[in-house]
Amino acid sequence: MVEIGLLSRSPLAAVLQPGHYGQPGQDGLVVQERTGLHIVNLAARRGQGGALAVAVQRSWGLELPTTPRRAGDGRLAFLWSGGAQWLAIAEGTGDLELSLKDRLGSLASLTDQSDGRSVLRLSGSRTRETLAKGLAIDLHPRAFTPGDTALTLAGHIGVQIWQLDDTPSYEIAVARGYAGSLIGWLLPAGEEFGITVLPPG
Amino acid sequence: MSTASETFPREIAAPAAAVSTRPAQPFRLAEAAGVDRKNLLDFTFDGQRYSGHSGDTLASALLASGVRLVGRSFKYHRPRGILSAGPEEPNAIVELRDGARREPNTRATVAELFQGLTATSQNRWPSLRFDVMGVNQFVAPILAAGFYYKTFMWPASFWEKVYEPLIRRAAGLGRASGSHDPDHYEKTTTHCDVLVIGAGPAGLMAALAAVRAGARVVLCEEDFLLGGRLLSERRMIGNRSALEWLREAEAELRAAPECRILRRTSVFGVFDGAYGAVERVGDHLPVPPMFQPRQRLWRIIAKRHVLCAGSLERPLVFGDNDRPGVMLAGAVRTYVNRFGVAPGRRAVVFANNDDAARTVADLAAAGVAVAALVDARAEVTPEISRIAEAAGAKLLAGARITETRGRLALRGAVVTDAAGTRHNFDCDLLAMSGGWSPTVHLTSHHGGKPVWSEAKAAFLPPSHLPPGMAVAGAATGDPLLADCLASGAQAGAEAARLAGFQTSLPAIPETDGESAELQPLWRVRGGKGKAFVDFQNDVAASDVALAQREGFRAVEHLKRYTTLGMATDQGKTSNVNGLALMAEFNERTIAQTGTTTFRPPYTPVSVGVLAGRHRGHEFRPTRLTPTHDWATEQGAVFVETGPWLRAQYFPRPGEADWLVTATREARAVREAVGLCDVSTLGKIDIQGPDAAVLLDRVYANNFASLPIGRVRYGVMLREDGFVMDDGTTARLAGDRFLMTTTTANAVSVSRHLDFCSQWLWPELDVQMISVTEQWAQIAVAGPRSRAVIEGVVDAGFDISNAAFPYMSCAELTICGGLKARLFRISFSGELAYELAVPARYGDALMRRLMEIGKPLGVTPYGIEALGVLRVEKGHPAGNELSGQTTAADIGLGRMMSKTKDFIGKAMAQRAGLTATDRPVLVGIRPWDRAARLRAGAHFLARNVENLAANDEGYVTSVAYSPALGHWIGLGLLQRGTERLGEVVRAYDPVRGGDLEVEIVSPVLVDPTGDRLRG
Repeated sequence: MVEIGLLSRSPLAAVLQPGHYGQPGQDGLVVQERTGLHIVNLAARRGQGGALAVAVQRSWGLELPTTPRRAGDGRLAFLWSGGAQWLAIAEGTGDLELSLKDRLGSLASLTDQSDGRSVLRLSGSRTRETLAKGLAIDLHPRAFTPGDTALTLAGHIGVQIWQLDDTPSYEIAVARGYAGSLIGWLLPAGEEFGITVLPPG
Repeated sequence: MSTASETFPREIAAPAAAVSTRPAQPFRLAEAAGVDRKNLLDFTFDGQRYSGHSGDTLASALLASGVRLVGRSFKYHRPRGILSAGPEEPNAIVELRDGARREPNTRATVAELFQGLTATSQNRWPSLRFDVMGVNQFVAPILAAGFYYKTFMWPASFWEKVYEPLIRRAAGLGRASGSHDPDHYEKTTTHCDVLVIGAGPAGLMAALAAVRAGARVVLCEEDFLLGGRLLSERRMIGNRSALEWLREAEAELRAAPECRILRRTSVFGVFDGAYGAVERVGDHLPVPPMFQPRQRLWRIIAKRHVLCAGSLERPLVFGDNDRPGVMLAGAVRTYVNRFGVAPGRRAVVFANNDDAARTVADLAAAGVAVAALVDARAEVTPEISRIAEAAGAKLLAGARITETRGRLALRGAVVTDAAGTRHNFDCDLLAMSGGWSPTVHLTSHHGGKPVWSEAKAAFLPPSHLPPGMAVAGAATGDPLLADCLASGAQAGAEAARLAGFQTSLPAIPETDGESAELQPLWRVRGGKGKAFVDFQNDVAASDVALAQREGFRAVEHLKRYTTLGMATDQGKTSNVNGLALMAEFNERTIAQTGTTTFRPPYTPVSVGVLAGRHRGHEFRPTRLTPTHDWATEQGAVFVETGPWLRAQYFPRPGEADWLVTATREARAVREAVGLCDVSTLGKIDIQGPDAAVLLDRVYANNFASLPIGRVRYGVMLREDGFVMDDGTTARLAGDRFLMTTTTANAVSVSRHLDFCSQWLWPELDVQMISVTEQWAQIAVAGPRSRAVIEGVVDAGFDISNAAFPYMSCAELTICGGLKARLFRISFSGELAYELAVPARYGDALMRRLMEIGKPLGVTPYGIEALGVLRVEKGHPAGNELSGQTTAADIGLGRMMSKTKDFIGKAMAQRAGLTATDRPVLVGIRPWDRAARLRAGAHFLARNVENLAANDEGYVTSVAYSPALGHWIGLGLLQRGTERLGEVVRAYDPVRGGDLEVEIVSPVLVDPTGDRLRG
């Protein structure tokens, strides 16, 4: 990749500093801003949903979810994000949009959203209780499991959340402009459980 | 008539010498089920020091200390004591705490005692014992129901300034602190299979049954202890004390991994799909623990709900039944058994049901003398006679209390027996029971009407319950403990089964025997003094009679006319008695009379907890631009535009006000170059083979003909023909467009496009998504803008006027390979560009552009200057796109294509929308060039009266134009295009303005557009 002469800046640069917050000696919630994620929105062209699923299967061995699920892993995952619409999320330095374009051609309209969303990773034993203060959906293990995703509200802020594992850990994506407000909700919600904010990564 | 009088010591015996220096608790008993005698707590009431124990309520601690007088009544300022031991309390309403945490109208019966609690009585002056307004009770005849409708009628102008303030001061409850609440509140949601409301015997059994089935259970209990009436009665369950059974049940539930027990939590409402509850997390502590809220609002979403809310005891309606010392019999047992407090030294018990005997027995067991048992029923069982005899109480069957004595505390009661003989008893406690009313409030929150049962003399839950709800325990109208345990177990098991679990009914333990026979007694006739029905609102039986005489006979009228059942207790102790009296006066049955509607909340809920964290800056989320942190460093002043915070202007030291700053910024754009973050404009990525088709249908003008690499200004109409929004759309590829919208309409335009493509024309192959947040977009405007842009664009991209003329767009790279989009568009009318980069680089790009532009005089500008520039150019914005203007009104009529169909085209042809006298967009300038214009002023001809009938339109936007050196404006004026050069008045009655203005073209600066094409 070309060396760009501009520095990137996180929308959380002024509001999320690594360290410990809230109840001393407790680590109920661990928060980390995700960096280096490539996020591309895929919207199937009319009538091409089936062909798109086949192409995804052939190219990456992943089953494009038709329900609110996430397929894949940290390197590349497809998240259902609406009717005939997915978010492809990848780590690393490659150009995700380009590689999707190469393999999917005109089966889907692709839109880069890498900068449109901020993603936080949340984990820790009290994550569910913290999230319950903003999300009205049921995150109990009987109702929401690793691989599940949901488009919902946190407080009054639209988010997409997905569960990574049952420790539990989740990732939550928010429109960039609202990232500060999301933190403004999250930290007070979790402070009674003790919060560790990790350096972005 | 003979009078039997018994002696009574006027002074209460001095308590045993206090062991500590703490004030004694002369009415504290040796045993208590729910109080920790080892843990002493200090508190004050009206400045006097007292002590109590953990587990006490303020009410029980006051009673233990011998305090009877706790408040003054609402209207008559009569001395009042403690009536109940629960949330139904109408009398003992106090202010808790002081300073910023002062909380008025708190029921002493539910306020949990804590160390250092400060409580103050309300509605009295100068003191509780001597209250000047107490004279009200002597003029009671004119203060009857509806008095203020009748008395304070004339003159009408006095109502707001004289009468209402006077009434509010005289009547009324406590004072709010007036300070910011120092605590915080929060909201949370929980989901479960079975929600059990109430943790009395029925609720505990229901929760046990559901938990054992494996269901996720939430058990809510309003009290700080589980157990309900089990704490208040001396009962046996399964051959041991009920308290032992309670301990085991509680332990089992606590150990269950999927059972959440919420104590101090009132479920206050049944809403669509969710129940609302308030958990009082820190109300029982001086200050909430660190990081804990004062209260927490729970939204509980459950598959099934079991309501085990129990029942509320009814007072009896007899003369002067409100003296401090007259108490509900069930509350007396609660104070004796649970709190270990004797509410008096010598009691009379008055009841119409079998509970009376239990009260006599419990008082006697606690060592309280019982002077008499007055049973309203002519016949009583041998069991009752036996209990009365054992307690040494005189049993008076078929008798009534017809009079009470005492002023600040009860001193005695007169009983009239069946033969008409009066018996005078000295007593300081009168325990009364008129039977129990099932707590059916929540069953009615979806509109179901409670059903009157003559047999049980009670309103029972309606047959039409909120979806998923079942009722168990005393709330069903079956109050016996054995029935409560059985119905709770059954309802809990059934709820779990319906939620999808395999269940079996748990074993139901045996209980000791009891009976709850009752014979209604709705009022005592022929007594002396006011017979109160609603203690909190000072509504007496005579007021109900008055309402009936005056025609307010329907239950809802009765409530509004007399205020029966209003205020903090919502008639928990008074409604049924009031309805029964109205039924009697109307000579109808209670079933025919009906009941008022129960609505949420069941119990008072603080506004703070409903707001949760959403207060102050957190009232709603704020959307920040990519350059927000940079703008903050520059000292920008921000303004809310929708959810966004945008830089309004960038003041420099020495600039007196925003106008000076905005003028400087606008001048810099006209003379040099300015930078403005325009990322907030809506950006929609529209792709697909039919993208151009969609645009042609939603825009009034043509887009299919737009070449790749070009931008076009578009206007879209609503279906009704009015303008919806405007903006530029760029064609990035044959099948890809980038639409921009106004900041305000970004979401509604997206929604509109989704509706069009998903519902109107699903056959179109087009995909859309908002990219507003993906791109940081900076306007670089002014004669020197090209030089600034050239400073960042990578080599190989030609942006000369020839290669990149006005209304061009390109995808290119800047600053060494960063992908970017450049648009040559202009809102200011100057040579201008908008440069977009992925949002994370927006901050750095702004800094880089500032650096490059420094020698060129670059100036950041905010939306005030933006407004100045667009008014100078006559560009319509939010003030003109008001939803009431057509394209023709704002000078865009010619954009409406005649060669294609589009949304709004048909409706825009309506006569009213094409009328020639519609107000249309014009420019204005003051005749006196030194004068300042004001937006909102109305256009009037020069020589007409200042009447709405002469109104010809109004001023929509104004600005001080640095380019012209005077104020200018835009407005909507009838037949405006024909009236250029005419002088009219801009009449502004609100701010006292009346100016002559000249009508001019809306485009006041560079009308030929040379500057933007240069």
